[in-house]
Amino acid sequence: MRRKKSSIVWIQGITCNGDSHSFYNYESMKSFSKDFEMLYHPLLLLKKSFQEIIEGEDAFDFLIIEGALSKDKSIIERFGYGMEDIVDALSKRAKHIICAGSCACYGGVFRLRDEKSIFGLLFSGKQKGGYWKDSSNVINLSGCPVHPSWIVDTLYALKENKKVITDEFLRPKEIYAYLAHHGCIRNEYFEWKVDCKGFGHKEGCLFYEQGCLGPMTHANCNKILWNNVSSKTRVGSPCVGCTEFDFPRKSLYETQTNMSLPQAPVGISKRAYYALAGVAKGFKIERLEKRLMDEDN
Amino acid sequence: MKITKEIVERIEGEAVLELEWEKNKINFAKIKFFNYRGLEQIMVSRPLYDALVITPRVCGICSSAHANASILAIEDCYTSFGENLNISAKAKAIREIVLNIEKIHNHIKWYYFTILPELKKIDNNGKKTAYAFAQKEWFEAQKAIVTILKAGSIFSGQWPHASFLMAGGVTCDPLRSDVTQAQNIVDEVIDFCEEHIFGMSLSEFLGIDSSIQIMGSNSSLSDGMDILMRHGFDSIGRSFDKFIALGESYMYDEASKAVKTTVVKADVKFVSESLEHTFFESKANGYTYSKSAMYKKNYFEVGPMARLIIGKDPLIRDFHRRFKDSVVTRVVSRVAEIAHLLNRTQYLLRHLDISQVSCKKPKIHLKVLSGEGVGAVEGARGSLIHRVRVKEGIIKEYDIITPTVWNLGNGSQENPSIAQEAIIGIDSISKADIVFKSFDVCSVCTTQ
Repeated sequence: MRRKKSSIVWIQGITCNGDSHSFYNYESMKSFSKDFEMLYHPLLLLKKSFQEIIEGEDAFDFLIIEGALSKDKSIIERFGYGMEDIVDALSKRAKHIICAGSCACYGGVFRLRDEKSIFGLLFSGKQKGGYWKDSSNVINLSGCPVHPSWIVDTLYALKENKKVITDEFLRPKEIYAYLAHHGCIRNEYFEWKVDCKGFGHKEGCLFYEQGCLGPMTHANCNKILWNNVSSKTRVGSPCVGCTEFDFPRKSLYETQTNMSLPQAPVGISKRAYYALAGVAKGFKIERLEKRLMDEDN
Repeated sequence: MKITKEIVERIEGEAVLELEWEKNKINFAKIKFFNYRGLEQIMVSRPLYDALVITPRVCGICSSAHANASILAIEDCYTSFGENLNISAKAKAIREIVLNIEKIHNHIKWYYFTILPELKKIDNNGKKTAYAFAQKEWFEAQKAIVTILKAGSIFSGQWPHASFLMAGGVTCDPLRSDVTQAQNIVDEVIDFCEEHIFGMSLSEFLGIDSSIQIMGSNSSLSDGMDILMRHGFDSIGRSFDKFIALGESYMYDEASKAVKTTVVKADVKFVSESLEHTFFESKANGYTYSKSAMYKKNYFEVGPMARLIIGKDPLIRDFHRRFKDSVVTRVVSRVAEIAHLLNRTQYLLRHLDISQVSCKKPKIHLKVLSGEGVGAVEGARGSLIHRVRVKEGIIKEYDIITPTVWNLGNGSQENPSIAQEAIIGIDSISKADIVFKSFDVCSVCTTQ
């Protein structure tokens, strides 16, 4: 027997709708709909209209916020309401609040136009304090876009009253304790410091030249994969660090170096990293210098 | 004269229609978009390739179209600086496969997520019936969307907001097994479309040339047609019968425009953007953030109907002969294009020569690249244009003209835009709402 369905209200601030469309890529939507009811979503004709939701008084379980927030009504409003009228009113009726995507978490790409008036809900970039100073019932699911499983898995955990352990940015550790680097099929090239010779190759690591931020980006992309089939690094593109507060950094296709050395992976001291890298670089591993599928042997 | 304000929702956001009524008919409509993001501004002073990451964020539903337009604009900068990048047939095919798949997904999503529920509501005296997250048909359509996007992600890594393009080609280097998997996934979606949308096999559907054959089929397309005809949409929503398609397509030889069914060559250089009625022109007197795109100062309709009229598709020509550029023809065009795109994508996958080079690195170093570039692609909703000016590898100016600003511009009473013309003369809000939605409006794209 199924339990009572939990209710969701989904609202949007300054957005591209990418998190919504990513959510609609969830593979087991029918099963999901047996446990959750979407009362309102801006893209679909559902049970409640925006007016009914905003004018209503009923409590609901989850408020999902997509997009950056601003109190400036001249750049963002919905149905004549400013974000203050929407977010503040609805959050009082929600048990949990989920920020879906990097814009709602930190302000994201749209914050770059005006960092003084565009924020994430609880963070402004790295800084604590965004649209609100603080709140105790918020979970951040960063990513540009957010992965559908991150939303669904978090909704289930909260519905079932499981303790969700979070990091300093209020992100569930189950997802964000991993790095995009984990599960990358180019890992052996990273270990032996063999870089990718340009773009469009199966071989080589994208960390040294092409700007890959996999070793410093918190996300399980290469563990669970995107669209259940691939990831940026699997198709030869560098990780752009889209789950982090500083996304999008400048020069996304170039590795930022200090005295021609790349940054050390997150949590690894420069000394440890450069010592190991120096040793690995000292050896020329013939197998790794060749094409993966070499016609000569 | 009575003036009313209506909100059109579920168009990837909202728009406000300010309607002027005369004798119970719409006399004029102002179309207002109130949200602004400023991505064109955000790109200034960044390295050129950053556009490949930032421009997809213009739009969550057509991110790959933006990435494709961006790479063409970037490569055009190299051309203007003296280096002609030679893109391999394989890289070109992969770019088209990913774009086609995004379009297939868009059209299926629009039909089942947007227009069909609205039509059902109209047919039910304005009362909602539980459809999304409720009916089997909706779940199956959602599954088809998930499935087709998986096929594209084999090459693009993810959807939305894929990164797989680079000056000189694509970053992926697929294996034979990747191509096989993609083929079989596309085949599954063909099964879905045959059963639910076409009501016949794909090859049969591609062979029909008469509207009667569609109406006689047992499919959700004919269900939608039925409702549209019953409510008079075969004569509602007509605009100027002027079409344009500026991006490449296998359906026609070159960028073209059509007035009625006469097709002539067109060139992206004659496209201009009007700031009339926008807040950019006047903070005090403007009423929208949406600009208007024009070709030689004239409004043209973009989208699947434009592509299929220009491509002389026999089925859409038949619809057009009977119903002109009405809502019915616009809706059928969007759905019929799914069949063409599926067929074309299977062809491209079958003939993909994976032994070719994925990406040829430009000889000119990015740090010295200066010039201007234009990229035009056919996105789901029509012609999408990116223009960039670069100096020593740094973006100086970036301009994006989206399909929705072609269709939903704001003209004057004497010279109305495509959507304004389509709405004038209608006697009810609910009908005007459907006409508006028949353009598959994308609010987020409208105001970058």
